[in-house]
Amino acid sequence: MAATYRTPSKVRLLSRPSRLVMWLGVAIGLAFFLLFGIAPAVANIVISLTDYSGLAGASTNFTGLGNYTTLFTTQWPGFIGSLGDSLYFVVGVTVIQNAIALALAHRLQGTSRTASLLRILAFLPIVLGVTVVGIVWLLLFDPQSGPVQSVLGHAGFHSAFFGSGSLAMPLTIMVQVWQNLGFTMVVFIGGLKAIPPEIFEAADIDGAGGWRRFRRVTWPLMAPVVSVNITFAVIGSLTTYNLIYILTDGQFGTNTLGILAFNTAFGNTADLGLGASMSVILLLLAIIVALPLVAYLQHRERRLLA
Amino acid sequence: MSTTGYATRQAKPRSTPPSPGFQLRNPRRTWRITTGILVALLFAIPVLYVVMISFESQGHFVRSPLTPPASPTFSNFSAAWSQGDLGPEVLNTILYSVVAAAISVALSLLIAFPIARRLVRASTFIYRTFVIGVCIPLPVIPLFIEAQRLDLYNSRIGYILLHVEPGLPLGVILLTAFVMSVPEELDEAAYLEGCGYLRYLVRIVTPLAWPSIVIAFLYSLLQVWNDIIGPVVFLSDPGLFPVTRGVYNFYGANVSAYTILAAAVVIVSLPVVALFIASQRQLLRASVIASR
Repeated sequence: MAATYRTPSKVRLLSRPSRLVMWLGVAIGLAFFLLFGIAPAVANIVISLTDYSGLAGASTNFTGLGNYTTLFTTQWPGFIGSLGDSLYFVVGVTVIQNAIALALAHRLQGTSRTASLLRILAFLPIVLGVTVVGIVWLLLFDPQSGPVQSVLGHAGFHSAFFGSGSLAMPLTIMVQVWQNLGFTMVVFIGGLKAIPPEIFEAADIDGAGGWRRFRRVTWPLMAPVVSVNITFAVIGSLTTYNLIYILTDGQFGTNTLGILAFNTAFGNTADLGLGASMSVILLLLAIIVALPLVAYLQHRERRLLA
Repeated sequence: MSTTGYATRQAKPRSTPPSPGFQLRNPRRTWRITTGILVALLFAIPVLYVVMISFESQGHFVRSPLTPPASPTFSNFSAAWSQGDLGPEVLNTILYSVVAAAISVALSLLIAFPIARRLVRASTFIYRTFVIGVCIPLPVIPLFIEAQRLDLYNSRIGYILLHVEPGLPLGVILLTAFVMSVPEELDEAAYLEGCGYLRYLVRIVTPLAWPSIVIAFLYSLLQVWNDIIGPVVFLSDPGLFPVTRGVYNFYGANVSAYTILAAAVVIVSLPVVALFIASQRQLLRASVIASR
């Protein structure tokens, strides 16, 4: 009934000054979004086609696809390797984060006081932020007098940890997972809660216990949140580099494309154009990975929910 | 007082009856306790350890890094406070994050209301652009150039303005969803009573949307508070540094003064942990909404 009553131009209900204020509010809000959201995204592509250095006095030239050919043909130091490091990081984080978060969600989905307390605790790393979390783990794994070295030293094991070519990446993956577990877990819990309890009751009556119940009931019905979490983990771990900046700054085999792009632009090379071209490649990679992933996961959702 | 109907609905059938009292024999209960402790250790130990050594003397820490301090000391905290510029940096962080988040939420509401009511053209298109905006990270290189060109580089106001946008996409999505749940008859009644647009937003919509506004505000605030790339790229004057860059520089300069460093980390984390404890319910809800 309300639908037929609605007049096409509801704006008329607003007085003229009110309409002006409304337009002004939208305009200011969208101006921020355009200026600091859309414009940089577009400008990134333009900058990647130049040799912009940001240094005073240096001239800027349009170089076409020059930056891209530099990256792919001249073996720009670290670029090809960074693709491998990114792959290692993305796969490691996505698999471990989702596996542990799913187990945590299963354990902490209840309404008991302990469960809610532990859920809050799992959120602590997100609140503390990458800087504090990074420094905490650097202290714990300090090669001189950190507690981990102190314990492992008794077993005769010594390592530089975040300064070790073989251990830096696994440890960085571990900290990244630790940092984001709470978020992934809460999303999984949301998915678990969305499953109607009657289905579990029916499964109980049918005598499906433990693992079978999880495999046949919980897992298929959680398909949508699994999709969300995997997509988030892949895109997130591919594009973030702030934790790596704190932990290793891309050294010791942790030179992912994100941190390489940042250091190319703001490190000693001060090459904003080349850095921009790397971040364009990063964005393309994120889209290339995300599109089939989203398509596959949606297909899987339909299959499992059918 | 719960009615009987409510009580029976709460009692869900279980596969095993609840065990009376504390029984370690019950394997299910043992399993739950063990895993519970494991989870608590996983998240608490790293943090508690740093808190512990912040009360240790450097000498004790070097001799036995694993044992609690024999005689706890506060000297690390005073040393960290005086050596690092923690006081001004905490104030900078509070200023940046509170103001940027407040502007962000206010603008989110100013965009969300007309979009939700379809008072502007291309409402759906604008909304979808914000949805894409949630997923795509901001490229920092063009923002750096923009900051320099627009005179926003190395300035308090500039830093705040640069940090408004990151909160907008989620804010707009959250508040659009909320406004849609407010019946339009309420708008019409208000307009007919002669209530202006802005007054309607402030007096009627804001109180109704308060839970969503708090979530959007907290989410935006945490983003600014914990940003480390922004302070590295957009600021050069140490007097303007927020705590993230301050404590990171402090770490670089004092890598071997663990106990003082630990105290600095504790000091820097206290405000945000206090805020977290006060608002954990909203934050956890925010992450569920953000995932949709």
